[in-house]
Amino acid sequence: MVTAFDYVPAIVLLPFVSFVVALFIGKQLPKKGAYGGIAATAGSLLLSLWVLASVAGGGAHQETYWTWAEGVGSQPFTLEFGALIDPLSALMLVIVTLIATLVHVFSLGYMNDEGERDLPRYYAGLGLFTASMLGFVIADNLLMAFMFFELVGLCSFLLIGFHFREPGPPSAAKKAFLVTRFGDYFLLVGVVAVFATFGTAAFAGAESFPALAEGALDGTVDVWTPGGLDTMTWFTVVGLLVLGGVIGKSAQFPLHTWLPDAMEGPTPVSALIHAATMVAAGVYLVARMYGFYALTPTTLGIIALVGGFTALFAATMGLVKEELKQVLAYSTISQYGYMMLALGSGGYVAAVFHLTTHAFFKALLFLGAGSVIIAMHHNENMWDMGGLKNKMPVTYWTFLAGSLALAGIFPFAGFWSKDEILYEALIHAGSEPLLFAGYAMGLLAVPVTAFYTFRMVFLTFHGNARSEIARNPEPVRWNVKGPLSVLGALAVVTGGINMVPVQKVLGIEGIDYLHLWLDNHWGGIEGLSSHHYAEIDPYSSTYPFGTEVATVLAGAAISLALAVAGLLLAWKLYNVAEPVEHTDKLGGAKTLLYNNYYQDEFQVWLADRTRGVSGGADTFDQGVVDGVVNGVSSVSLFGGDRIKRIQTGVVGNYALLLTVSLTALLVVFALLGGWF
Amino acid sequence: MIIEALLAFTFAAALLVFAVPNRYAHKLAFGLSLVPIVGSLYMWSAFEAGGNALTGGQIAFETVAPWLEVAGYQLQWYVGVDGISLPLVVLTTFLTALAIMSAWTPIDDRQSQFYGLMLLMEANLIGVFTALDFFLWFVFWEAVLVPMYFLIGVWGGPRRKYAAIKFFVYTNIASLVMFIAFMALVFSLPVDSFGLPEITQSLAAGELTAFYGLPAETLALVVFAAMFVGFAVKVPVVPVHTWLPDAHVEAPTPASVMLAGVLLKMGTYALLRFNFTMLPEQASAFAIPIGIIAVVSVIYGAMLALAQTDLKRIVAYSSVSSMGYVILGLIAFTEFGMGGATFQMVAHGLISGLMFMAVGVIYNATHTRIVDDMSGLADRMPVAVWILVAGAFAYMGLPLMAGFAGEFFIFVGSFGSTALPYAPVFTALAMFGIVIVAGYLLLAMQRTLFGPFRLETDYELTRAPMHDIAPLVALLGAIVLLGVAPSLFFDMILDATVPILELGGGL
Repeated sequence: MVTAFDYVPAIVLLPFVSFVVALFIGKQLPKKGAYGGIAATAGSLLLSLWVLASVAGGGAHQETYWTWAEGVGSQPFTLEFGALIDPLSALMLVIVTLIATLVHVFSLGYMNDEGERDLPRYYAGLGLFTASMLGFVIADNLLMAFMFFELVGLCSFLLIGFHFREPGPPSAAKKAFLVTRFGDYFLLVGVVAVFATFGTAAFAGAESFPALAEGALDGTVDVWTPGGLDTMTWFTVVGLLVLGGVIGKSAQFPLHTWLPDAMEGPTPVSALIHAATMVAAGVYLVARMYGFYALTPTTLGIIALVGGFTALFAATMGLVKEELKQVLAYSTISQYGYMMLALGSGGYVAAVFHLTTHAFFKALLFLGAGSVIIAMHHNENMWDMGGLKNKMPVTYWTFLAGSLALAGIFPFAGFWSKDEILYEALIHAGSEPLLFAGYAMGLLAVPVTAFYTFRMVFLTFHGNARSEIARNPEPVRWNVKGPLSVLGALAVVTGGINMVPVQKVLGIEGIDYLHLWLDNHWGGIEGLSSHHYAEIDPYSSTYPFGTEVATVLAGAAISLALAVAGLLLAWKLYNVAEPVEHTDKLGGAKTLLYNNYYQDEFQVWLADRTRGVSGGADTFDQGVVDGVVNGVSSVSLFGGDRIKRIQTGVVGNYALLLTVSLTALLVVFALLGGWF
Repeated sequence: MIIEALLAFTFAAALLVFAVPNRYAHKLAFGLSLVPIVGSLYMWSAFEAGGNALTGGQIAFETVAPWLEVAGYQLQWYVGVDGISLPLVVLTTFLTALAIMSAWTPIDDRQSQFYGLMLLMEANLIGVFTALDFFLWFVFWEAVLVPMYFLIGVWGGPRRKYAAIKFFVYTNIASLVMFIAFMALVFSLPVDSFGLPEITQSLAAGELTAFYGLPAETLALVVFAAMFVGFAVKVPVVPVHTWLPDAHVEAPTPASVMLAGVLLKMGTYALLRFNFTMLPEQASAFAIPIGIIAVVSVIYGAMLALAQTDLKRIVAYSSVSSMGYVILGLIAFTEFGMGGATFQMVAHGLISGLMFMAVGVIYNATHTRIVDDMSGLADRMPVAVWILVAGAFAYMGLPLMAGFAGEFFIFVGSFGSTALPYAPVFTALAMFGIVIVAGYLLLAMQRTLFGPFRLETDYELTRAPMHDIAPLVALLGAIVLLGVAPSLFFDMILDATVPILELGGGL
């Protein structure tokens, strides 16, 4: 019988075919490959929905497609490509294909209608990007995940640098690849270490590395560790190595600097990168191998701290930006910080929840920003906007929905997921005080987020138009409004998939669908369930406000109150006819924030130093290492030149030399032989 | 007899091309060079794995015939292949044909001699990878230098004479050191021929005796060290690498392709065949210094590449870096380490060949290789540039391209190695090369290929001609094929490398 699972490879291959088609015959196609891309991603979306329905119907799937390489003797590693379809990957497939489809449609308006050049290259890039991400999502082992992770990095390079004729985009593309490569270095060491330790990198099953790690900690399984290191310490090291790649791709502190520069790419690409593909890949990887991370408390603590810190740190930088996409870029970093905080706090479901809601509302905000950018003839400075509300109502209302979700205002999607993250951090902080720090930073970031979000909304859409273009913006077409409307609706309602607070407060059972989904309630693979993760993670729950219900209510009230406070402050300062830049009052602090805490300067300094060292190495190499070689040659030539003077061509000289040499030899032999 | 046929045909082809007028030489040489590809692919398809040729495995396409007798030793015509040498034979035939094709534009002088030398070099390279008698092998090994010397010295850049002589003298002195050491080894063994399998098996049986008062153990160590130095120059590794950038910068593009693609692999091939197969215990004794050489070659080579401003020098230094990985894989003495090192020889041959060719195509059009002289080339010659970008990503170890397969096999093999103390540390340090390689290649690409168009030389820049692009596409196809399906070669490589581990080096 043909099931949805037979078509899993097609989900990946369809966008890949669209890549090949756009690359080779895109020029001849109407719309330069856009239709092919839309058809391919929509096809993948339909197949993904079918897969999702099949998982809901009790199915799960594991299959190996291709053995890449195989050891035969002492290192029996099997390196292969396979699919792992469980509730997590099925959900992610739907998210990625949905966003990819909408981004393709939106590109018709943003790229084709704007008369961009080189469109086949653009659509080829989008196709490959989507295919790589989908390959990453279905990966059933860490090596395959790494391989597609790298391909995602390649695609980001190609798309961020799409406008290669200008100086900015190629530089940003290089930075994105290089900074994430730095993280991937640690990830690759981690992958290699996983193979050396466990002999396998499979994610699921009794012979998977999380299962073996669990066994090793229980003492039932023997694993290799370098130098006989204690297993717990070694697993922590391995977990942190893998985390390096996550920090790079998910733009966590201190490897976040590539992401704001990546705004040089076309806006639909930004939507894809931020909502569903590259940046999401890092967090997804931690969720994918959560069974391994949950075993090591130190790693979890570090994830939570990095996440909480990034959430706050990035949010503060978003406060003072002048360009629409820059604000969104910092909000992405900050929001992924929340997801990391959730993962570090044992909130596996909360993280996946926020990954889902964020995918929708961040794609929405980027596409909305894209719509504004079309209208503004590619001027992104918010101080040149204003008053766009009545001129582009669809964009305004959908953008507003996305902003409310991002700010965490009840009852929009972001409220539910962000609230659950903070709740998880709060209740687990009793067993791990580090989480208090994470919680506090996450909570502090809430009003900051609400403030910068609505500063952006008010500056862009409210007040009077501050430039000629803003008075007469270019209209946008269905291909822009359509995707916005779909995502706008999702940003409003997605919270409904996981109404945990409602369930707890009102006592209605069974409406925490996402919890049930990720707990293999309908179907799944043993060992990959939120239940199992909760059992092995080091946390226990305590309720600082007495009962569970009181804690739920108090937690939600605090974060909502802070969000509303931030929103109101933005309202007061920026929802006026002629707003002024109030953040100027921050003085030196603003300069610091505006320059991103001089993080970029630091990294540029580091890169310059590296080049300096390499220049020194080159001088050393030319002067000393090659100098010795040339020196040997000079000495030989010089010596040869001198010795050849013996050859005078005068027979008398030769006779003299012969006689002297013979005498000398005889004397030497005589002395040595003791003839005297 | 297929190997004899291959050798005879290639030598005859070389002579024929020498004889024809210049204007026919290119097409004739290219046509003739396709025949060895068919031959080597036939060998690949008819090959049946049978272990390592030296350790007593079954040797494919084997022929033995007595040749001379010198001082009680039988010199033989002895050829054959196993899973280690066959991929390198295929690489040689494939890359030679493409290098000949790529010579169309840059070589416009004395064509018949140029192509004749290319084919002569191919014949000798096939000989190096198939000979199983030391004397026969050494004849081919030395004979390879002659065509390359002339290719650099006659068709090279402004400093071609310096580069050619440096290349020849440096590698020749190294061969001399190796030759003396190997003779000392043979004279201390109860063997009556220079057959490499016989020598290997005699060593494995512990039949090495003292030599002029030197105890067998010490002798083995001294011989290992001398041979290592001899081959290390050819690879090359730091600090004996300085002939390489000079040779590459002066060499014409097709010669660079052969130099980086195949000639460097002679060094690593010989290290694997001689040092690591014949004297595995001595290799383990030198594990830490060799590991240090590997890591230093990777990192220092990459740092030097970062400092260059000439595109060809960048690629040249990056070869030093990539060869460091091969050394790391060999010294690991594990299945994936040794197998990966052998695979990396093929992968790097294809990728560095592609890079040199692509840089050559750009040079044909711009007549400069200096990074600061140009920018935004992607606008004017898109196909060539995007293939160069693809090649650069292959060099950076992008998955599903051959370079990643080779590097990953080496890393996964060496991380848990027991033969190399502190293997995880060595491996992790060497792996940092993947960040630096991305740094210098991306930086060079950003400055030359992207941004606003600018060219400091007075040449009208047009799209690259088809005959320049075709070999690039062929190489890229091969790189992707081996990246997706490394088993095409990796299975036979493992078949021939695993027996080496059973000799005792892997502990």
